[in-house]
Amino acid sequence: MQPTFRPSPAEYPAHSASNLRAPALKSRTFQCMGTVISLALPAGATLDDGQVLEGATAAVERVFSGLDAMFSLYRSDSEASQLARGEVTLREASAPFRARFADATGWGLLTEGFFTPERPDGVLDLSGIIKGYAIDQAAAALQATGVEDWCLNAGGDVLVSGSPAPGTGSPWLAGLVDPLDRGALLSGFPLGGTGRFAALATSGTAERGDHIWRAGAGRTEFRRSEFRQASVAGLDIVTADVLATAIVAGGRPMLNWATDSWDIEVLAVLGSGELLATPGFRA
Amino acid sequence: MRIRAAVSAALASAGILLAGWQSGAHVAGTGSTAAAAAAATSSGTGGGSTTGSSGPGSSGSGGSSDSSGSAGSAGAAAQAGTYAGSAVQTRFGTVQVQITVKAGAITDVTALQLTDDDRKSVQISNRAAPLLRAAVIKAQSAQVQTISGATVTSAAYLTSLQGALDAANL
Repeated sequence: MQPTFRPSPAEYPAHSASNLRAPALKSRTFQCMGTVISLALPAGATLDDGQVLEGATAAVERVFSGLDAMFSLYRSDSEASQLARGEVTLREASAPFRARFADATGWGLLTEGFFTPERPDGVLDLSGIIKGYAIDQAAAALQATGVEDWCLNAGGDVLVSGSPAPGTGSPWLAGLVDPLDRGALLSGFPLGGTGRFAALATSGTAERGDHIWRAGAGRTEFRRSEFRQASVAGLDIVTADVLATAIVAGGRPMLNWATDSWDIEVLAVLGSGELLATPGFRA
Repeated sequence: MRIRAAVSAALASAGILLAGWQSGAHVAGTGSTAAAAAAATSSGTGGGSTTGSSGPGSSGSGGSSDSSGSAGSAGAAAQAGTYAGSAVQTRFGTVQVQITVKAGAITDVTALQLTDDDRKSVQISNRAAPLLRAAVIKAQSAQVQTISGATVTSAAYLTSLQGALDAANL
């Protein structure tokens, strides 16, 4: 799906062609998994960059729609829905399905249950891990097509490769939405280029309401989280995505456990709007 | 966690030294050598390790079997300055802790050895701490190439910053 909404150049002056500070990008979007996925490539890298972008987008879309067809609970014909209805058991599920279930269960153990593949009503819901996995698989598909510099954004979770200005080593700069004013940026974080981190994921209660449930200590229930939003920069997107979810669900104890145990940077926004940040987010 | 464990082990060892000194004050000759031995092993391996905790056993048994003491020599052992802990591997590199004891009390705990293969070396803790909004990395929407936020629904995308960004790059 292409957005019908186009900002005027006056509204976003830095993106007009006349501004040399912002690297020129070409992007394509499509809709999947209830959100919009954007792929951006540096513009003008090759003569046929339009075609390269179309091909790369198609490769990414194949990955996403394939996984959505298997794991979406919004599709009655998906394997996930069949399982939720009790028509098949986990034992009878396909190997890819069981592999993702194993991933999610493993993350549940690593996060002391704050990341959980089970909804409060007991239905197995792997959507918490599937988007990150889809981004990860899309990265492999992009690599296979030979594209080296790209930025993939799936509903606010970002994975990049290379640089927006090929050959310069300069990073992609990701903006972090302010949960108190989603039209404004709270912070920024450099990804890719010569930096350490390639992935950035944000979880929160701002966009979809309280869609993260708190679990742990034998209970699974909806509860208002201590954190309004948590952004995690990591080496890979699945880790960043899972930990961002777990931190919003688990509050400060999970935040400290995550920063002690994984190579990540975190910026968390408390319900009051105050910030907790690891040194990497310090200006 | 390991650093905290090392520090608490260092503190425990120092406490053990003090206990040895106090028991040494009550007991006799061999008791004082036991206390001195405890101090000697601690000065070799110091805070972090098990040798420190072997100290109390020996000084304790010395205390129970003997009846006269030399507070002077035991006291000298306890105030003998600095004790280095064993090197501990952490996610941030090798960390070694040193404690300074003066007049039977720990007056200082310092990190002796902090090496790492990347630039995070001097940073022992990666804990998230309170930070003013003005102190985080700033970014203007005109400068960024992508936007991270809590999952955007398809409907919300059209009015989102990412939507604007994509529209500008079509």
